[in-house]
This record gives sequence, structure tokens and C-alpha cells, in this order.
Amino acid sequence: MCIGRIQRKVDIMNIQFKKGVLELCVLSMLFKKDCYGYELVNEISKNILISEGTIYPLLKRLKDEGYFTTYLEESQEGPPRKYYKLTDLGAQTKLELENEWSMFVEGVNRIVKEANDNEQE
Amino acid sequence: MNRNEYLSALSKLLEGIPEQDKNEILYDYSEHFRIGQENGKTEEEIAQALGDVRVIARQFKADCSVRQAETNTSAGNILRAVVAACLLGFFNLVIVLGPFLGVVGALFGFFAASIGISAGGFGLFIGSILSPVLPMLVNLGGFDPVAAAFFAAGLMCLGVLFFIGNCYLARLLYKGTVRYLKWNIEFIRR
Repeated sequence: MCIGRIQRKVDIMNIQFKKGVLELCVLSMLFKKDCYGYELVNEISKNILISEGTIYPLLKRLKDEGYFTTYLEESQEGPPRKYYKLTDLGAQTKLELENEWSMFVEGVNRIVKEANDNEQE
Repeated sequence: MNRNEYLSALSKLLEGIPEQDKNEILYDYSEHFRIGQENGKTEEEIAQALGDVRVIARQFKADCSVRQAETNTSAGNILRAVVAACLLGFFNLVIVLGPFLGVVGALFGFFAASIGISAGGFGLFIGSILSPVLPMLVNLGGFDPVAAAFFAAGLMCLGVLFFIGNCYLARLLYKGTVRYLKWNIEFIRR
């Protein structure tokens, strides 16, 4: 019974983490270079366990809100591919989010490490 | 599910979304299938990895409805946006629909009150005019009819002002609801 509750807490934490962090991941990838949809989805789902299909709604929303623009580029393998490109707003947001994330991760790690060190004494 | 089944299911579920957006979405997903197959995956694998079509369609519809409500102020639009957000999950029924109904109810109450005040003022005005002429019909309880008439006029104006104020309040609440829905869709999603 105890394991069940713990698992539920872990699941909820995962879901919340992923939601908040997905935007950061997308912006970070596009900061490095323009990507097409499949590239983004593939790379993210390699590292984080999510339903791949839900990334596209996020991409559409971020595009509508002005974080990136899209363009079509001819490809040798077939029809043109749609590439996403970061706007200035997107780049700025990426830096801010990344900052927040680093501070957050550092803070949590510090607390966890501190608690672990104390425990070992 | 294979590719065609997935895409046609998605297409059907996206009914109600502007044609341009819908076409773009379908383009993205068919491109996803195409590139996935180029990379050696089967249609079933790709469909499986994408996840439940209904969940995806609901997200698109919710985003779309909220944007509609934002650009075109109308009662229908905000209602559709709230419903679309509620469809995202049971939790939203509580934190979206509940407060929304409460706010709408209060707003209706305010409007009714403002109309009531004006109507009451109007009634009193008529009564105060009639009372010297038809004392059997109207009894002002000893109040001077002229004073009552002025008071009534004041009430009518108060009611109108209240009503106008409610219109501004409604507009404020509309914008607030749009912002709340956007926040909700982004962060509270199942």
C-alpha cells in the first residue's frame, strides 16, 4: 500500500516536471539550430518519456504566441520539410527559462546532498 | 492503428478548427509518419509512440478555442473555450467549470439587480406622478410626490450606471477568463 502511494507521487511529480520542462527543451534545441518537427520530437522522446504526439500541440501553441517562425526547406528525400526557427522572443525566453532551471536544479541538489551528507554522519 | 486510420481519426476529431490550422496539423503528422517510416519504423510503431489521438485532438481544440475567444470577444466563444478546457480532464471540471459558473452566476445577478433597481425606480416614478391625480390607486405613504419623483429618477439613473458598470465588469471577467484558461491549458494538463 505504501509503495502505491509513493508511485503515485512519483508519477505526479514526473508529469508536472515534464510539462514545465518541455518548453525549455524545445527552445534549447532550436537555439542551437533550426529543426524540423520529427527531429524535435525524436530527440526529446529519446531523453524523456512522453507521448510524442503531444509535442506538436505545444509547437503550434508556441509558434502562435510568437516564440518561433516556420519555413519550408526542400529536401532530397521527398516533399519539403517544415523547419522551426527561434524568434528573438524565443531566444530571450530560452535564456530566462534555462536560468530558472539551473537555479532550481542547483537548489534542489544542494538540499538533497546536504540531507544525504547529514544522514551519513 | 495504421497511418491512414490515425490521420483520418485525427481529422475527424479536429472538426470545428479553422481549415488552415487543421490542414497544417494534418501536414505535420503525416510528415511525422513519413519521416518515421524513412527511419525504419512501422506505421503501428509510430502511431503507438504518438499516443492517443483523442488526447492530442483535445489539446489542439482547447488551444484553438482559447485563441478564438481571445481574438473575437463573444459569449459563444468564451463558452466554447471553457468547454474545450474542461474536456482536457476531470480535474478541470472542478477548477475551470466550477469557478466559471460561479462568476457567470454572480454577473447575471448583478445585471438582474441593476435592471431591478431601474425598474423599481421607473415604477416609483410613475407612481409619484399618478399619486396626486389618482390618490385611490397610489399611496406614497405620506411622501411628497415631487420628492418621490426625484428619488425615483435617481434610482433609475443608478440602475443604468450599475448596468453600464456591469458591462465593463463583464469585459474584465472575459479577459480574465481567457488568461486563466491559457494558464490552465499550459500547466494543468493530464
